[in-house]
Amino acid sequence: MTSMNFEPIQLTRGQAVRKWIKDHNPPWIALTILFLLLFCGLFANFIVGDPMTNDLKARQIPPFTDIKHIFGTDILGKDMTARLVFGCRSVLMVTAPSIIVALLIGTAVGLLAGYARGWVDSVLMRITDATLGFPSILVAMLIVTFVGTGYTGVIIAVTATTWARFARMIRGEVLSVRERDFVVLAGILGVSPVMIMWRHLMPNVINTLMVMISLMIGQVILLEASLSFLGIGMSPGEPAWGIMVAEGRQQLLTTWWVSLFPGILITLVVMAFNFFGDWLRDYLDPRLRRAR
Amino acid sequence: MWQYVLRRFGEGFITLIALSFVVFGSVHLTGDPADYLMPLTEAHDQKIYEAQKKQMGLDRPFIVQYWDYINSAVLFDFGTSFVIQKPISELILTKLPATVHLAICGFLISIVLGIPLGIMSAVKRDSFLDKLTKGFAVFGLAAPQFWVAIMLILFLGGQLQWFPTYGRGDIEGWWPEWHQIPQTLWHLALPSTVLALSVTAAIMRLARSAMLEILDSDYVKFAQVKGLSNRLVIWRHAAKNALIPVLTFGGITLAGLLNGSVVVEVVFAWPGVGLLLLDGVTQRDFPLTEAAILLSGFFYITTAVLIDIAYGWVDPRVRVR
Repeated sequence: MTSMNFEPIQLTRGQAVRKWIKDHNPPWIALTILFLLLFCGLFANFIVGDPMTNDLKARQIPPFTDIKHIFGTDILGKDMTARLVFGCRSVLMVTAPSIIVALLIGTAVGLLAGYARGWVDSVLMRITDATLGFPSILVAMLIVTFVGTGYTGVIIAVTATTWARFARMIRGEVLSVRERDFVVLAGILGVSPVMIMWRHLMPNVINTLMVMISLMIGQVILLEASLSFLGIGMSPGEPAWGIMVAEGRQQLLTTWWVSLFPGILITLVVMAFNFFGDWLRDYLDPRLRRAR
Repeated sequence: MWQYVLRRFGEGFITLIALSFVVFGSVHLTGDPADYLMPLTEAHDQKIYEAQKKQMGLDRPFIVQYWDYINSAVLFDFGTSFVIQKPISELILTKLPATVHLAICGFLISIVLGIPLGIMSAVKRDSFLDKLTKGFAVFGLAAPQFWVAIMLILFLGGQLQWFPTYGRGDIEGWWPEWHQIPQTLWHLALPSTVLALSVTAAIMRLARSAMLEILDSDYVKFAQVKGLSNRLVIWRHAAKNALIPVLTFGGITLAGLLNGSVVVEVVFAWPGVGLLLLDGVTQRDFPLTEAAILLSGFFYITTAVLIDIAYGWVDPRVRVR
């Protein structure tokens, strides 16, 4: 008689990690780009020199010709490498606050509309739809007219166009969750509406929210870059990628690299966020995997 | 159905009123047009300031001013631009043809490319074509319009000199003369390509996923089992249904294109409404910005309402909410 004993397979930590990676296939390239963005943004001043110093003796150096200026220099002799790296910081400085504020407003509005329903819902959703159903660059332009250009203006403009998407999405999720037994029961038990929203509705929305955030960041970056390019975003001269593209445009035929590189970086970063968002959605909701 | 139509129109109307209120209100909350128009030398003369205010009608209550503004806006009178001393409606009307040409051209490109390519890549899933369109969609949704425009100008306009890179040639107004048509199209080539880029990508993705879903459905499988030819099944049975979401999206996109081509117009010095609007914003020309945004809003909301109604007509489930 052979004795057959089935023991549960115990994976070591390393094996578990490897299995997770094999099962879920994280987007390595996108993650690398996002990590580099974060790293360069946080430590820009340790990696490269000053992005604002003009060096008139070293103007318009083409890229890959001078070891001191690998990505060349611009019309005023500013080092492109430094400006590109500091551009990461500009991206973080615009996206982080505007996404956070938009998230707070959107979540509050969405939770309230979805939970209260009735006329509160109608009013809030009318406002949301009006904001949503409008090209975001126009809304941003309207706001910039009143608030003025520069860092604050960009943040307000970007936030004003972003919050509605979060509100819409969260309201939809809340509407579907609020009829479930545990929410109804909490209400019967006398849990306060605020507590229900925070403790019972919010955790069920968080997955979709994460996906939404990473997809929205790409949009925010594009919007900020467009505004800066149009001259109604970050202040001129700042090392923001949109501004750099505009600077290169002034003497496109001679200093094409000033426009080329920041554009490539914007594209790569937005792609990375989109890829990561798509992956996150599939990871958090396996039902969607088939649809790709 | 009629109830649905009325409700949608009512909602659209309310949204428009709200929008106009917000736009008008924010002008009055954040800036004082009278102060802005004061000559610099007399900046502190209270009397002239009051007179200026009175002459512009700014001393009346807010609601009265708003009511007046709306009344004349309905008659397409938005007052006079601060910077270019001309009636705003006239300014916008002269710039409109350029924007409409550009938007329609870009829209046509994205429909003609996006729908067939999306459908084909769904049919031939994981083929080379599918990978190619997927890659294009990823790029089109991530690359900033202004940068793509500049790169096209650099290579196709500057290096190779194949296309003109600014303006719309010497045509003016809505209709070019016969002999101007080639030149008009020539000038439209680069701007409309750039405008079409992200829309094409989005339409492709949408058509592809809609088509994938439909190819998986019972009635398509049944049609295949019946022995209908592949071409008939795909183009007659499946593609038609896949088009519904694409066209809804397409409609709202056309409205967006008509409004949101600011970036493209700036890069290509295209003399359209977007360029006018940007001038309004940078020069803080309040009445101009106000009017342009209101008109876009009117346009956008009307389109959205019409699309919703068309959608409700095609698919009765939408009518009930």
